[in-house]
Amino acid sequence: MKYSFKNIASVIGAGVIVFGFSLWGLFGSKGDFSESERRVLAKLPEANAETIFSGKFMSDFENYALDHFPMRDTFRGIKSASVLGFFRQKETNGLYIQDGYLAKAETELSDEMLSHAAERFQHIYDTFLKDTDTNVYFSIVPDKHYFLSEESSRLSLDYDRLVSEMKSKTKYMEYIDIFPLLSIEDYYRTDTHWRQENITDVAAAIGSAMGVNPDADYVTLELDKPFYGVYYGQLALPVKADTLYYLNNSTLDECTVTSYNTGLPVEKSVYDMEKAQGRDPYEMFLCGADPLITIENPNAKTDKELVIFRDSFGSSLAPLLVEEYSKITLVDIRYMQSGAIGSFVQFENQDVLFLYSTLILNNSLAMK
Amino acid sequence: MLFSSITFLYYFFPIVLILYFAAPKMLKNAVLLLTSLVFYGWGEPKYVFLMIISIICGYICGLLIEKYKGKAQSKIALIASCIISLGMLGYFKYADFFIDNFNAVTGLSVPLLKLALPIGISFYTFQILSYTVDVYRGSVPAQRNPINLAAYVTMFPQLIAGPIVRYSDVAKQLDERTHSIDKSAEGIKRFVCGLSKKIFIANILGELAGLFLATEQQSVLFCWMYAAAYSLQIYFDFSGYSDMAIGLGKILGFDFMENFNYPYISSSVTEFWRRWHISLGSWFRDYVYIPLGGNRVSKLKWFRNIFIVWMLTGFWHGADWNFIVWGLYFAFFLILEKLYLGKFLSKYKAVGHCYVLLAVMISFVIFGAPDFRLAFECIKGMFGMAGLPIATAETLHYLRSYAVIIVLAVIGATPLPKKLYAMAEKKSAAITAIAEPVAIVVLLLLSTAYLVDGSFNPFLYFRF
Repeated sequence: MKYSFKNIASVIGAGVIVFGFSLWGLFGSKGDFSESERRVLAKLPEANAETIFSGKFMSDFENYALDHFPMRDTFRGIKSASVLGFFRQKETNGLYIQDGYLAKAETELSDEMLSHAAERFQHIYDTFLKDTDTNVYFSIVPDKHYFLSEESSRLSLDYDRLVSEMKSKTKYMEYIDIFPLLSIEDYYRTDTHWRQENITDVAAAIGSAMGVNPDADYVTLELDKPFYGVYYGQLALPVKADTLYYLNNSTLDECTVTSYNTGLPVEKSVYDMEKAQGRDPYEMFLCGADPLITIENPNAKTDKELVIFRDSFGSSLAPLLVEEYSKITLVDIRYMQSGAIGSFVQFENQDVLFLYSTLILNNSLAMK
Repeated sequence: MLFSSITFLYYFFPIVLILYFAAPKMLKNAVLLLTSLVFYGWGEPKYVFLMIISIICGYICGLLIEKYKGKAQSKIALIASCIISLGMLGYFKYADFFIDNFNAVTGLSVPLLKLALPIGISFYTFQILSYTVDVYRGSVPAQRNPINLAAYVTMFPQLIAGPIVRYSDVAKQLDERTHSIDKSAEGIKRFVCGLSKKIFIANILGELAGLFLATEQQSVLFCWMYAAAYSLQIYFDFSGYSDMAIGLGKILGFDFMENFNYPYISSSVTEFWRRWHISLGSWFRDYVYIPLGGNRVSKLKWFRNIFIVWMLTGFWHGADWNFIVWGLYFAFFLILEKLYLGKFLSKYKAVGHCYVLLAVMISFVIFGAPDFRLAFECIKGMFGMAGLPIATAETLHYLRSYAVIIVLAVIGATPLPKKLYAMAEKKSAAITAIAEPVAIVVLLLLSTAYLVDGSFNPFLYFRF
């Protein structure tokens, strides 16, 4: 009798799961975008003789079925929890939690990627900066794994070699070391980025190395919504959200920000409150990913200009340098050809800063 | 299509179940055939026709063999069946291997065919051969219903990675089989068990093996970890797949033969091969070894037979020299045991266990290495002859990260969990009556979580 119950329960239990999720998957509502992974989800592929016999329909359908599986993020979270909790693996999909911080384990230093980044910098230098009066600087932002791996026995890439390799390949630039100024507390727990309210000392050090003295007073403002960073979505575990703070003052309020995202100038603001309410609140800093953006400061102490070649870390740092420059131009060569910069910027006697995180330098293929 | 995929679990299989159980008895094999063709065509749309041609040839040859029983035409039909089946296998699987070696020996540059290997061709070729040979031997009557024969060959649970189901084992079941809640429950349990072995152990150990192949910081310990991880991975991958096949078969009313019986507890290589890939071993025994004379011949011919069978066993696994060497490596140990070690190993079981584990781990290093150089480097590394450090920080990191999985895999490769479960059931059937369905549901959901999250899911035996 008991065995009979066991078998009936097994069949019903498995049947409910298989048929339940099958029907839910077939007839449930489907989104177009994964908020947690910040990517577009696969679309139902078109079935015709060509796609079927080439096998494309099948492979695309597999992706579609995965992307639109009911409770997908919950299942991803269950997987992460079992990998890190039950199986006690150090990482899941390269991500881990330590001391409440979510981070990515960067373990392999890629000489190829470093060379590519250095080659791109060299190209920019040779094309636009070499025979000008510009002062060229270079600084590297460590990622969170640099600090967390130091505190534990985690594998880590050789950060010292990364810095020395990049320095040796960019001898035409003056290197500004900001590693000693940073600690893990200067980063969001759930995101890759640093906290703007904690990097005024970094801005001061970089400014000082460039011969300016950014020491403005700021009001610290709190974003009125929880900030779930990029690692939160990737790990899919129920971790407490960050609070996003940003620094403001009258100088920043009066700056004119112009984006050239579409090729034409569009006026923006230093802190984009529309983006703050969007999918990635960190994008509030200078409108997020943008190939070319300028900040003009009518109240600048000097008429000096600064050009920053940067990744997303530069978005939250640049406002802290504004007070010393009449104009800051931020260039992201991941989104524009470096050869096209000359159409927008006349290099004469500006300060030029290359500011890149270790994450981007070690994965530099997107640099154009 | 893989069993361990969302498409199979939540789209294909529910539809199969509805169609299969809704169909009247006389149409069940037709439903099985059609759904199996969809299953195969999902991964190999073009090669469906190749498989259909093989089945038609097998069907016609089977009828001719029976019709001309005892006459020369019967033998001709059998030979035709063998030539067609093995010819297709040879052309699609081995042509480039022979061309490549021909070019190497002669210095010519005959262009390679570069054909994609049809999935499961090694399995269904052997099944068709077993059918025609058995009909020739008179062990089974020829199947007159082409749908039944096609359903046997294409049956999706065992189509792409076995076990190699013999026609004689399922001939009666094709006409008459029972379906019940108890059998379905047994099948579900077996399927979920296999799915879990594949997803929670084989795939994760596969990551570790992949890390070894990718690393530039090898060490003695890492070489051993790789050998152990890969040996366990291939066992859990393949036996997990066999469990899923047997489970699915039970849900559909079939009883397939067991394919694994805890091979890593063996105390001799001879015993290991009685417990590992049983359907392949018995196929070669019945269709190659015994027809060659088996052991009822002179010692020299006996050893020749062993070497032929094991060379073919290795070659069956893949068209490369490492597979042939892998097969011959086992032939060497089998002869060694027959001549000298057999009695010693049966007397000193503990020594035998260590010897088997060592021999098998080395064999899988040869089996799994991308090339001979790497295989020998790894074997040298295992014994401290490659100038590697004992361990590196990277090795220790991975050891810590995969320790739980390795321990679970080692325990899971023994009959201990099964014994413990049997004891628990004996002690309190009421508890296991509740625990078993709960475990099935939990493991199915957890497997789903892994599938939804990950894309790393290839079956090791997929191309064999």
